Amino acid sequence: MLYLLAMTRSKIELGDVTPHNIKQLKRLNQVVFPVSYNDKFYKDVLEAGELAKLAYYNDIVVGAVCCRIDTSENSRRLYIMTLGCLYPYRRLGIGTKMVQHVLNYVQKDGNFDSIFLHVQVSNEGAIDFYKKFGFEIVETKEHYYKRIEPADAHVLQKTLRVKVTNGDVKDDEKIENEKYHG
Amino acid sequence: MPSSNPLPPKENALFKRILKCYEHKQYKNGLKFAKQILGNPKYAEHGETLAMKGLTLNCLGRKEEAYDYVRRGLRNDLKSHVCWHVYGLLQRSDKKYDEAIKCYRNALKWEKDNIQILRDLSLLQIQMRDLEGYRDTRYQLFMLRPTQRASWIGFAMAYHLLQDYEMALKIVEEFRKNQVKTTYDYEHSELLLYENMVIQDSGAMLDALVHMNKYNELICDKLAVYETWGKLYLELEQYHEASVVYRELLKRNPENTMYYQKLQDALQLQSVEERLKLFESYQEKFPRAQAPRRLPLNYATGKQFKLMVDKYLRRGLHKGVPPLFVDLRSLYKNPEKVDIIEQLLLQYVDALKKFNRFSEEDVETEPKEPASALLWVYYYCAQHYDHLGNTDKALSYVNEAIEHTPTLIELFLLKGKIYKICFQVNDVSIPQHAGDVISAYKWMDEAQGLDTADRYINSKCAKYMLRANLVKEAEETCSKFTREGVSAMENLNEMQCMWFQTECALAYQRMEKWGEALKKCHEVDRHFSEVIEDQFDFHTYCMRKMTLRSYVGLLRLEDVLRSHPFYFKAARCAIEVYLHLHDCPFKDETAEQEMNTGRMHKEATL
Repeated sequence: MLYLLAMTRSKIELGDVTPHNIKQLKRLNQVVFPVSYNDKFYKDVLEAGELAKLAYYNDIVVGAVCCRIDTSENSRRLYIMTLGCLYPYRRLGIGTKMVQHVLNYVQKDGNFDSIFLHVQVSNEGAIDFYKKFGFEIVETKEHYYKRIEPADAHVLQKTLRVKVTNGDVKDDEKIENEKYHG
Repeated sequence: MPSSNPLPPKENALFKRILKCYEHKQYKNGLKFAKQILGNPKYAEHGETLAMKGLTLNCLGRKEEAYDYVRRGLRNDLKSHVCWHVYGLLQRSDKKYDEAIKCYRNALKWEKDNIQILRDLSLLQIQMRDLEGYRDTRYQLFMLRPTQRASWIGFAMAYHLLQDYEMALKIVEEFRKNQVKTTYDYEHSELLLYENMVIQDSGAMLDALVHMNKYNELICDKLAVYETWGKLYLELEQYHEASVVYRELLKRNPENTMYYQKLQDALQLQSVEERLKLFESYQEKFPRAQAPRRLPLNYATGKQFKLMVDKYLRRGLHKGVPPLFVDLRSLYKNPEKVDIIEQLLLQYVDALKKFNRFSEEDVETEPKEPASALLWVYYYCAQHYDHLGNTDKALSYVNEAIEHTPTLIELFLLKGKIYKICFQVNDVSIPQHAGDVISAYKWMDEAQGLDTADRYINSKCAKYMLRANLVKEAEETCSKFTREGVSAMENLNEMQCMWFQTECALAYQRMEKWGEALKKCHEVDRHFSEVIEDQFDFHTYCMRKMTLRSYVGLLRLEDVLRSHPFYFKAARCAIEVYLHLHDCPFKDETAEQEMNTGRMHKEATL
């Protein structure tokens, strides 16, 4: 009986990106995202360590997340460059697993002000997905994308540290954090 | 018999040191001592010293000088067993075994009880399968050293190989009587198993059984005991006992398909129902074992088969077992089974797309299948249609699978394979789908790129490149896994990588590069010679370690070594190339030119 239970559960795991399997990441990104990434992107990913991960579902690569650390605007922020999953494997908890990995990473580091990313304004599924984890739209950039329609992008951000910005104090962030990944 | 030209004590001491240096591989020192003796004008032509100098030079790779010195030494002292022995060793090192045997025999003429020479002779005899000579030599060694274990074993082995089982058994039995055995004695245990093997070879199965029953407790290799029991009981038609043994063996390993076969024989099962019932009971006993679920599919038919294969397929597809098709392929001999499987597959595709279940009826009762289930069904379907020769359908399923999950490497391997097969279906020499062999390798290359750490895919890719006559590319692909610093081609030869070398030979043959093709064929041939060569060390090693069963197995393998498919492939290629060269010999351009100029010259002088 126990064996049958174990059989029905699907396995989701994260794995490293290496020079040996980087082509799987490329292939995945080609299919998942409407924009293509250049060689520099993949070169940097190989150096990114825990910030770039492949997601395995029953031992098959079906998703990936790639981040980098952004230090512009006088703050230290984590930027999610790509986070995606193959279409047939959506709504199975793979995206959540990847976001949680990122959240764990920033928490362990303890020195990030926020996490942010860009989403095409039309991508409601993604916006709802990130909102679950406490991200919110903080800005909308017009003509952010060059070759796709609509070209506008929302900036989604999750604030991690209580920080004085333009006199606003976001003191409820800490509670929010604990609520979603504590 | 002493040498005809004995050395005085001082020189004799030096000579002994040469021998010691040879044994300890201190060849430079050996040469020094030889020089000291030969430097004295009185002994400048001393035969044994010259011979030893030659042997030492041989070890330093100076072959020509070696032969000069050894022959000169021998000429100077034809009655010396040392000179003959040395000449034999020299020939042996050049693998001229027949010559070496002659030399040893000459040596023994002058010193008939020399143990070392007799031992060396016996090794050559067994290597050359001169079994009668071997028996005689082992007899002499046995008489000279009756207290040594190896004397008895070698003596018995000689009779065994000559199929004189009675004599062989007498010797082993006599030898065993004088053995003191400890509680856990692996060598003694091996000896008992060897003895049992000899009894079985003699055909006396009942005696073998009595022997096994008597000694089983002293045998360490329990698996061998049970397997022997099972085999003997079956042969002696003691079916009940046989069934007990095979049930015991299945308890040890419920995945061994041969045990199930033998158990059915022991139970004398006739009907399919009886067989299926047996497997069912084993499914309950070992719920995690694969074999009792797979094997009944071979027997079941019709509705029953459908029910069982449905369960089997679902389990594999649910879990994502990549070799599921390969596992079931042997069922495809039966067209009825193929139809049933096909129906089920089409049902799965349909139901998974609509309901995420393997069938519509499961919607209420079963949880959703994992998202990968449909992918594995597509993958299976592609292999299914490919096997049936329906290339279009196979390709369409594999493409659907790639659409579904473009990161699964197996899909690209399969796509390459499908292209390869549609190439082979047509006449190989004039492919209708020209370029398919190219597509095949391109898809393999794609697969290879997705996981460059996977050696299996790397090798497959190289093989497909060779099929497309891309030798250089194949070598480059292999070089990712060969030793750095040497050319891949060299390293592959050194590693005796014969799948590569045979495929490479065939590629060169197709490209009409006859010389290159022959080169590869001869490399393969050399590997086989080496394997036979390598046997040499085991003649002493196995006797010492008492691994006699394995030793006999090795001898029997070496006897049929060149029946190996790799050898066949290379030999066939070489024969074809040689025949071609015979039918259309090279036009030797320089010879032709000379003929022409010669004629012109003649004409001019005329």
